[in-house]
Amino acid sequence: MWGRSPILRGLATIILFLTLEVVSILFIANDSVFQRVKISGALMYFKSGISSATSDVRYYFGLREKNEVLINENQRLREQLSLYKAKAEMGDTLEGFLSVTPDFTYIPAKIISNSTNKLNNYIIINRGRKHGIQKDMGVISPEGVVGVVSSVSDNYSYIISFLNINQSVSARIEPSGAFGPLVWEGRSSDYATLTEVPYHIRVSIGDTVFTSGFSTLYPPDVPLGTIRRSSVIMGSYHNFQVKLFQNFNSLRYVSVVVNNKQNELNQFLKENEAKR
Amino acid sequence: MKLRGNILISFVTLLLVQIMLSGLVDFGPLLFIAVYPLFIFTLPINTPVNRLLLWAFAMGLAVDYFTNSIMGLNSSASLVMALLQPQIFKAVSRKGDLENQIRPGLAQLGYAKFALYALILLTIHHIFFSMAESLGFTHFIYNLPRLFVSIAVNTLLIMLVEYSLFYKLMR
Repeated sequence: MWGRSPILRGLATIILFLTLEVVSILFIANDSVFQRVKISGALMYFKSGISSATSDVRYYFGLREKNEVLINENQRLREQLSLYKAKAEMGDTLEGFLSVTPDFTYIPAKIISNSTNKLNNYIIINRGRKHGIQKDMGVISPEGVVGVVSSVSDNYSYIISFLNINQSVSARIEPSGAFGPLVWEGRSSDYATLTEVPYHIRVSIGDTVFTSGFSTLYPPDVPLGTIRRSSVIMGSYHNFQVKLFQNFNSLRYVSVVVNNKQNELNQFLKENEAKR
Repeated sequence: MKLRGNILISFVTLLLVQIMLSGLVDFGPLLFIAVYPLFIFTLPINTPVNRLLLWAFAMGLAVDYFTNSIMGLNSSASLVMALLQPQIFKAVSRKGDLENQIRPGLAQLGYAKFALYALILLTIHHIFFSMAESLGFTHFIYNLPRLFVSIAVNTLLIMLVEYSLFYKLMR
């Protein structure tokens, strides 16, 4: 009977189609489950082999080691800098001087897989839980923001790239101090849009955009880009097109931001919430 | 049995071509590479639609997994394409073509017909792909340039891949 009647066969086809389509859409909705599958397991070895083979072609071999040295040095310097900043804020008391920990520390990592040609781009790096990376940590490079850690396995981390239409970074324009969310609109990997800046604020073309430091993900004052063009939305807001300093195509080394005050801050927020 | 072997070979070949091209070709987000639909176009006519759907689903998921995109994105688009493939083929081909169990490729259809066939199915695929990507119609107008560029480039790429890999073998 099954397969003979054309109506039943058509019905079976439609049911199969709908089932598979619903399964696909469920997959899309629950992507975070698969991110974990993608970075754990044997496939990563195969994958990291392939992608390093293809991307190594673009790099000179001698520059590689030099880069590594520079990365480590940069990291050390950045940690020292944030330590000194914190010390300066604490003033001259000896107590404060001894007990200070830097606000942010950095874990250097190498990109294994990266894409810039989709609307939802992801990055995989070669550092994971073993190295102290946790979910929801920010990732930066010397030239700007890279993304947010989305899931972690023992040796690898899956990062939602800034080049993802669902991502935004809290940004600040330098001389005027105005701030707003910087989002990527999916057009070009070189440009992003700074939205919702109040109309009365005066900004000139070429002003530099930095991270605001309002979120716990990224340290403040990471340079992001320069303003290139502005447009007025509904007569009340400026939208600025920002040329990013970051070139995501040639991005190779990144630093994962560890916010040492995160737990304290979360606890503080929770306490205040409880009081209310 | 021989036919099924051929299907497997073209499955693996196109998966590899897709992985390599989407890894190497990068013109920014305005262009997404989709060559794997060629596999679904060229599944033999007379393949039951159910089997077509399963192949399309498998191909879509494999591409999603290996090219590091959101799981389910390519599979949902290629399912719609697979469902409509027999109808489009009927519309494009001559009557006699349907009776043989042929692979609807460049050698069998000829340049003009194959290009038309590929173009129509790719358009369907790309529309559903971009809908699944932004989950709805909201970005549809905004995505139009991306859609046009991708359809044009992918049609060309598919013609090239079909010509270079399968045309001579099948003739």
